[in-house]
Amino acid sequence: MLTDQNWVLSVGVFLPLAGVLVMMFIPKSDELLVKFVGLLAALATLGIGIYTLAEFDYGQAEKLQFAVNTSWIDVIHSRYIVGLDGLSLPLYILSMVITVLVMIYSWNHVPSPGNPKAFYMLMLVLQVGMAGTFVAQDLVLFFVFFEIVLLPMYFMIGVWGGENRQYASLKFFLYTMFGSAFMLVAFLALFFKTGGTTFSMTQLADLVQQKYAEGGLTSTTMNLIFAGMALGFAVKVPMFPFHTWLPDAHTQAPTQGSVILAAILLKLGTYGFVRIALPILPQAAKVFAPWIGLLSVIGIIYGAWCCLAQTDMKRLIAFSSVAHMGFVMLGISTLTSYGINAAMFGMVAHGLITGMLFFVAGSVKDRYHTLEIKRLSGMLKQVPKLGWIMGFAAMASLGLPGLAGFWGEFPAILSAFEPAKGNVDLAIGPLSVNLYRTFMIIASIGTVFAAGYLLWLYQRTAFGTPTAEFAGLGADADDQDDHAHGAHDAHEGAEDTGHADGHHEKLHDVGIFEWIAWAPMLAAIVFFGVYPQAMFKVFDPAVSLISKKFGG
Amino acid sequence: MHLLLSPMQQTDKLISPSVNWGSLTPLLVLLGAGLVLLVGAALSARGWAKGLYATLTAAAAVAAGVLQFVLWNSTVHHGPKSLVGEALVVDGPSLFIGISICAALLLAALVTDDYLRREDIDSPEVYGLYLMAALGGLVMAASNDLIVLFLGLEVLSIALYVLAASHRKRIESQEAGLKYFILGGFSSAFFLYGVALVYGATGTTRLRGPESIKTALALTVETDKHRALLVVGVALLLVGLAFKVAAVPFHSWTPDVYQGAPTPVTGFMASAAKAAAFGALLRSVVLSMPELRDDWRPAIWVLAILTLVIGSTLAVVQTNVKRMLAYSSISHAGFILVGIEAAAHGGESGDRGIASVLFYVLTYAVLVSGTFAVSTLVGRSGDGAHGLDSYRGLGRQRPVLALALAVFLLAQAGVPLTSGFVAKFSVITAAADASSYAIAIIAMLAAVIGAFLYLRIIVSMFLEDGDAEGERVSIPFGTGAAIGISVAFTLVVGFFPGWLLELARDAATRLY
Amino acid sequence: MPTDFSSFLRGWLTVAIFGTLGLLLAGLLLGLSALVRPKRPTVEKSMAYESGVDPVGDGWSQSQIRYYIFALLFVMFDVEAVFIFPWATQLERYAGFGLVEMGVFVFVLLLGLVYAWRKGVLRWV
Repeated sequence: MLTDQNWVLSVGVFLPLAGVLVMMFIPKSDELLVKFVGLLAALATLGIGIYTLAEFDYGQAEKLQFAVNTSWIDVIHSRYIVGLDGLSLPLYILSMVITVLVMIYSWNHVPSPGNPKAFYMLMLVLQVGMAGTFVAQDLVLFFVFFEIVLLPMYFMIGVWGGENRQYASLKFFLYTMFGSAFMLVAFLALFFKTGGTTFSMTQLADLVQQKYAEGGLTSTTMNLIFAGMALGFAVKVPMFPFHTWLPDAHTQAPTQGSVILAAILLKLGTYGFVRIALPILPQAAKVFAPWIGLLSVIGIIYGAWCCLAQTDMKRLIAFSSVAHMGFVMLGISTLTSYGINAAMFGMVAHGLITGMLFFVAGSVKDRYHTLEIKRLSGMLKQVPKLGWIMGFAAMASLGLPGLAGFWGEFPAILSAFEPAKGNVDLAIGPLSVNLYRTFMIIASIGTVFAAGYLLWLYQRTAFGTPTAEFAGLGADADDQDDHAHGAHDAHEGAEDTGHADGHHEKLHDVGIFEWIAWAPMLAAIVFFGVYPQAMFKVFDPAVSLISKKFGG
Repeated sequence: MHLLLSPMQQTDKLISPSVNWGSLTPLLVLLGAGLVLLVGAALSARGWAKGLYATLTAAAAVAAGVLQFVLWNSTVHHGPKSLVGEALVVDGPSLFIGISICAALLLAALVTDDYLRREDIDSPEVYGLYLMAALGGLVMAASNDLIVLFLGLEVLSIALYVLAASHRKRIESQEAGLKYFILGGFSSAFFLYGVALVYGATGTTRLRGPESIKTALALTVETDKHRALLVVGVALLLVGLAFKVAAVPFHSWTPDVYQGAPTPVTGFMASAAKAAAFGALLRSVVLSMPELRDDWRPAIWVLAILTLVIGSTLAVVQTNVKRMLAYSSISHAGFILVGIEAAAHGGESGDRGIASVLFYVLTYAVLVSGTFAVSTLVGRSGDGAHGLDSYRGLGRQRPVLALALAVFLLAQAGVPLTSGFVAKFSVITAAADASSYAIAIIAMLAAVIGAFLYLRIIVSMFLEDGDAEGERVSIPFGTGAAIGISVAFTLVVGFFPGWLLELARDAATRLY
Repeated sequence: MPTDFSSFLRGWLTVAIFGTLGLLLAGLLLGLSALVRPKRPTVEKSMAYESGVDPVGDGWSQSQIRYYIFALLFVMFDVEAVFIFPWATQLERYAGFGLVEMGVFVFVLLLGLVYAWRKGVLRWV
């Protein structure tokens, strides 16, 4: 049962490439066909994903399923090992869903300078990299997928981004590559120091313990290797001192890029911690955990303060990501089953919620041609549906019980009350309880800030009366207008660039493609908020396997 | 050596060295083609038909390459062997580097044809010099004797001096030729002095095999007396070769010469000359003087780090693309030196190091040939438009060409699924295997700094709004073919690196 | 090892001492004369000395390129001839092998001559 369907993951990962191949032969001018083929490829991939969901054996979620282990590049001992367990499954599916939704949204929102062919192709390539990272069980394969993600995102920001796109895209690329430089050397050091015969994660994890027990691997070496990996992942997360690329990338990226970046790309880093760094080097993880916890807490508070100081809506949401990923990393740093489960949930929840917020921000920009908070006001009057959706997403983001955000944030804080107790068998001592309880208190202050900046944002933009600049353009005035909403949608893309002050076109409320793209995310936020067990039970077996090493 | 020494020994009969003509065919083909080209073209009254020079050169390159594959086959079956009284060898590394040089020659010939006609300076001499340079490179890579190595070095270098100056209408080209000649002359002198000192210390110039430097060094008792002499000699050899591979601090000629030389020649220099010089470095020092490695490995270590750091940081501040690529080629030399450093450790990790050097040399030769091929086209007539501005808007004007250049640049930056990534990966793996972590991390950081430079060019092509000033870039057939071959190779090796890695691994273990 | 190294260095020390002494001596003599001699510069005195003839024109003067070409050709073939002499003295010993080798050598030289001829280098225009 577990192995006989080994085609599933390979097809699921590489199917988008088939779409890219087909699209290559479609002329650029045939935009409709291009979009159709792109969306079809993404939908087919999602279809495989749903099949995976259905066939996944939830009773053995801690085991790698649909596993493939064949030779790939023998000379460097790298093998094509893919597999899916409870840790990867939700993120793997999330990446497919987000890609489809983003493509639907792009149907009439291709950002300037147009060229949907290239845009859709990049999204498909991005999907390959993201899905591949979540299923790779070989370090070299993981690294390759991890790096593939960089390029499409670089071009997405660089070509379709805002005014400062060159700076932002370069910064994004170089920061991530800087991190991966250390990560790659750490992977290789791990391979040679343990005398491994493959780069398989499970094999290396076993070898590390074996060598450590024999005394062939000192804790200094392990700490250095862990530091190298952690640097690579921390840049991607991003954790506090390495976060500066994120606000720039988010602010300059097109809406679609921001959504994918927030929903999936940031998770590659946290996923890397849980999948690779913790299980392979548990002793070193314990050494570094307090520091990671400290940086997470700094990130939570720092991110929140930065949010309070922002005047740009997208930049504010970007900094809120720094804070939210701080909660996720705090959960991971406790090294307990409780904390890591919370972190995993937090990843998915943050993906859905922040993705949603960026969608809203994109649509606001489309209508008002600005994201400056002080110029926006009274959205609830002018575009009530959009305003309500934004309110909903903001509530979810600040961790309102009953919505998905709560289950990522609250248990993560709680888990710091009781960090890992240690494991005598592996010579891992307990984490300092006092330290973590301090973290807990600071992190909970962070949630207050989160409520503060999100509500303040909502109050300034959605409540009140529209500013003079946009007065009389709202959807409320639209009722007398002869135009149907659909007609507006049709020429919306073309109007993207024309934001000369003084003659704004009428504002219109949420359009049909926006509804299709957003509805599943909104539904998922509610569903997982009401019934979090649906996801916890998928994570838990695999998480327990990891946390067992730390005695949790 | 053999011939000169024999008469003094007053033996009546000369034992003539057995010349294995069959194994010399790659060299003979290149030599023959060069002579036919020069004399044949001189004898015909009106010169040859359009494109015939380049066709002959390309055919010779292909033939020499194929012959080396045949030799490879026989090496696999009968083992590596030596020729002409142990002066030359036919073994894994020599054939691998030889094939790299032939590939570079083929690509250069294809690009040069269009270039010379565009610039209206078509002549057979350039091709003759290409063939001679390739011949010299092949000799360097296959030499088993320091004197023969020097011979190859000079044949290669002198041809390149003239090639650098071959665009007679551009003053920069003249300057490049002269500069290269004067500085190159210095480096040759250093090398030759090194040969003399090594000969003084060991009593032989032969590198490996019976009665060679390697065996002399193995009897350490004897060499201890002349150790200082030997060390100074090896240092001078390293200086000479470091100059040829453009390693810091012997790199100062590179930017000026790369910028001034005709663009296809620059591509040839960066690919073939670098390959040959690394082959020679491998053969003369790394493989022949393992006993002395404690003395010269630190030098390689320092060279590698300086080359990586200075090459990539100085590349970032350039605004002329040819100059940028010159510094980038310095930084790539640093990467290959990382592999050499790993090779210096000997044993299993040493083999890995040699293999990584061979792999890097071949993939880089193809990559850089392709890059300069695009640069040749963008230079437009006059070969002067090499500023970053000239690339602005290329993505819109010539999307396919821009895409090809993007592939080359990303590969040079080491992005996965390109040959460049696999090359960097194998070099770093070798370094990690040899526990040279410091150098591995510095190399990776240099790659990050370097990535900035490649992205700058990509930004110019795709992201900046170009008003496409100047004439439209035209893509003639030959250059287009060269670019196509390079792109295909880069991507195929990027996606399926296994076979080539295995080939390099094989070559590294089939040593004479 | 250290003794060998220092004996090696001692050899160079002699050179260094000799060189330093030479420089010192030359410097001393020139410096001394500069101190004692009277200085009365005139135009004639500062002219370049060309065996009593008044110098005409610039120090940089052009001469015909063909002189260089002939000189180059001469040097080239002259140097190649150096290789032929030792072979000729040991003609019997090298026998057939040597003959063929030298034949090839001369043939390649001849090709060079043909090339030079076709390029018009041998014509004195």
